[in-house]
Amino acid sequence: MNSDWFKGLNLISVSKMSPEKTGLAYSVYLGPDHLLDAARRLYDLGCFIEDISVVDAADGFMVVYHFDHFTSPGRIALRVLAPHDKPEVSTISEVFSGANWHERECHDFFGVSFTGHPNMTPLLMPDDAGFHPLLKEDGKRKRMSEFISPGDVIVKSPEFDAIFAPAEPEEGSASDDKVAAKAGADKTAGSSSEA
Amino acid sequence: MLHTEREYSKLIAGDFYTHHMEPGPDDRTMILNMGPQHPSTHGVLRIVIEIDGEYILRAEPVLGYLHRMQEKMGELKTYLQYMPNMGRVDYLHALAWNWAYVGAVERLGGIEVPERAQYVRVITTELNRISSHLLWWGAFLLDLGAFTPILYAFDDREKILDLLQIPTGSRLTLCYFRPGGVVNDLTKDFIDGLREFIPHMRSRLPMYKGLVTDNIILRKRVEGVGIITEETCRRYGATGPVVRGSGLAYDVRRAEPYSVYDKFDFEIPTDKECDAMGRYNVRVAEIEQSLRIIEQALDAMPDGPHMVKGAPKVKWKAPAGESYFAVEGARGKIGVHVVSDGSNTPYRVKLRAPGFCNMSLFAEVARGVLIADAVAILGSLDLVIPELDR
Repeated sequence: MNSDWFKGLNLISVSKMSPEKTGLAYSVYLGPDHLLDAARRLYDLGCFIEDISVVDAADGFMVVYHFDHFTSPGRIALRVLAPHDKPEVSTISEVFSGANWHERECHDFFGVSFTGHPNMTPLLMPDDAGFHPLLKEDGKRKRMSEFISPGDVIVKSPEFDAIFAPAEPEEGSASDDKVAAKAGADKTAGSSSEA
Repeated sequence: MLHTEREYSKLIAGDFYTHHMEPGPDDRTMILNMGPQHPSTHGVLRIVIEIDGEYILRAEPVLGYLHRMQEKMGELKTYLQYMPNMGRVDYLHALAWNWAYVGAVERLGGIEVPERAQYVRVITTELNRISSHLLWWGAFLLDLGAFTPILYAFDDREKILDLLQIPTGSRLTLCYFRPGGVVNDLTKDFIDGLREFIPHMRSRLPMYKGLVTDNIILRKRVEGVGIITEETCRRYGATGPVVRGSGLAYDVRRAEPYSVYDKFDFEIPTDKECDAMGRYNVRVAEIEQSLRIIEQALDAMPDGPHMVKGAPKVKWKAPAGESYFAVEGARGKIGVHVVSDGSNTPYRVKLRAPGFCNMSLFAEVARGVLIADAVAILGSLDLVIPELDR
């Protein structure tokens, strides 16, 4: 697998992982605005979609896309963070048709919406369920740094360091800061890639 | 205000009947429900189809009738207490799910598995795969109107279940693996029985071929039906016999070798036709390949413990981290993604069911086919509904 496919994307980090220990070859954190772009590049590389999963962490909903390759195997985990107060990620179902059902499932279980999805109706849950079973209760959410290993970092932005920084005492202010930092990082990365 | 009779009938039928599927622009088409009690949907799959005469214009599978929230149960039970769920996700190839989950837990905890246990796992999982393929074979032909084959298939499958009952203690929802090994060692009864079963199963395969595979009635029903290209498989993430029936030799046992599979000599059957017959041929050929693997494993199986010393107990705490483990199930790539926060219950368990991904391409493939062909396509995907709905 050529590891240059992610150049020019709004990356938070790219890490090479140990397949024996994690089952992953690469772990990629991405700014949400470049998700569709990344999916297109992976499609052009010949990858297929394995699944989409969500982890409800204190930092937000970590949406994880697993991709693999039929002829040169090596699992890629693409991760996007969606804040709890606005859980929205753009759909990739126009590139990988199979994402359609996976995204509907994620919406059933976590309430994460996928903007631009052609049919965002319940798939596994009843139409009148009115709740999302896999949401964690407030106070039971763990920070991502508690269960994600950074791996062998190839590329990273300051935002990546913020994920692994020690916990700040006040939960509310910490998350506000992070949102602000994220917005700033998005802006700078976007402008640099255009230039 | 209701202008036409059509709008009026839609109001009576309600959305439950059409399930978000808007009727087409004119009266030439009809919306029909296949399932949830249709015999060819094997359980409780429902497909809403819009038909023009005998032809399907649109199909929309409606899932969830067997949804049990397996992933939530994973978060509520400890690592070992969750094991019995695995045999209930896909009851036909229960041991592959057993393996995917213990594999993810072992990877997370860095648990070594003794050499003998690896071989025991290979032997029992391959045996389970044959039983799964046999049941599919019988049920697929039953869908197509052939009643006799399922009786032969059950006869052979019964012998496998009798064998698997010896080490596992159960016949269907097997729960045999544990992180660090397997529950019981293989006994002499089992090994002797298996040595007898292998030539028996081989002797049946030519009969299956003569009776069914070469049968013109079957071929007319499945040849050229349900074309799934490699590109479609890639977009939907279809794996297992579906992608191999599209000419691509993708098998997790080769692509991402786990356990001792790299020590065995076996072929990956493929078929270039991309149709239902191709998928049929792949599964039938896989029975022989599984027998080959079992033979080699029986010969090479070393002595030793079947469970590692200090294997996790019920309240075992996994180290914090995440792991993904994939195995080749009878229906395709089974993946389990476990996230641990360091406590004795997983923080998140994600189950990647191959049937779910294979089924998701049905809406696209069924467009424009005859209803009878849609039944053949559904059968050729080898669906196990609890796995789709989890």
